[in-house]
Amino acid sequence: MFEELSQHILDIAMNSLSANAKQVQISILESRKHDWLVLRVRDDGRGMDAATLKRVLTNHWSSKPQRRKPVGLGLALLQQTSEMCGGHFHVQSAPGRGTSVTASMRLSHIDRPPLGDLNTTILALCATDKKMDVQLNYRSDGQKFSFDSRELATKG
Amino acid sequence: MNLEQLKQLKEKAQKQIALREGGKKYRVVVSMGTSGIASGAREVMKTMLDEIEKRGLDDVEVHVTGEHGLEDIEPVVLVEEAGGEKTTYAQLDTEKAKKIVAEHLQKGRKVDNLAVGKQKKTE
Repeated sequence: MFEELSQHILDIAMNSLSANAKQVQISILESRKHDWLVLRVRDDGRGMDAATLKRVLTNHWSSKPQRRKPVGLGLALLQQTSEMCGGHFHVQSAPGRGTSVTASMRLSHIDRPPLGDLNTTILALCATDKKMDVQLNYRSDGQKFSFDSRELATKG
Repeated sequence: MNLEQLKQLKEKAQKQIALREGGKKYRVVVSMGTSGIASGAREVMKTMLDEIEKRGLDDVEVHVTGEHGLEDIEPVVLVEEAGGEKTTYAQLDTEKAKKIVAEHLQKGRKVDNLAVGKQKKTE
């Protein structure tokens, strides 16, 4: 359904927006040496209780009636991608304590989607009405990149 | 991952943040929920940003929102004119998005064949 990991990231971070997060932190670790790609999206939104979390993770696409609002679909999709690519998927969340989504996958796995257009994903998140702060930390074996929307907002 | 591309991000994001400041003639709202993203809303948004920049349109602001509840006809973009009409464009792709920028946002001519539903007045 999503062709790029950066679309998954956008989708998960839009959940943060719906959860009234003031800040979302995205981190990406890409290591050829260890053959892992790890994504983490962490927010300070309202969080979920255990029952809600269980529900959003079990609502897979195929089991949903077509016109009902697909709550939690995005998380289930990322879980699917991650597990299909030899990785692990974990969500940590509690009411009032934000949500942290971690998805890993084997970098060399044949089904692993490309990261894709990460720039446009971050741009979209910078354009939300609620003015959520967006941070990105990207790290690979030899390179590092970080982005923080707060630095830009103060200049403008 | 191409780090060179990422380095352009700061500059682009700066412009993007400026684009949501408000008080512009046109307000463009892109629906960016799960179904929107899956059907290409992010690419539609990128095309619109690029076209707006290319054409030097400075009276347009671009916003992103969650689902509009119109998941069957995504990607959906709403164009609101200050004190004027609200137009909902649906089932867009990058070519249609370019057309909306060229016609509606630049020349002020609504693209009727891409619009859906009744016209609404902005409150």
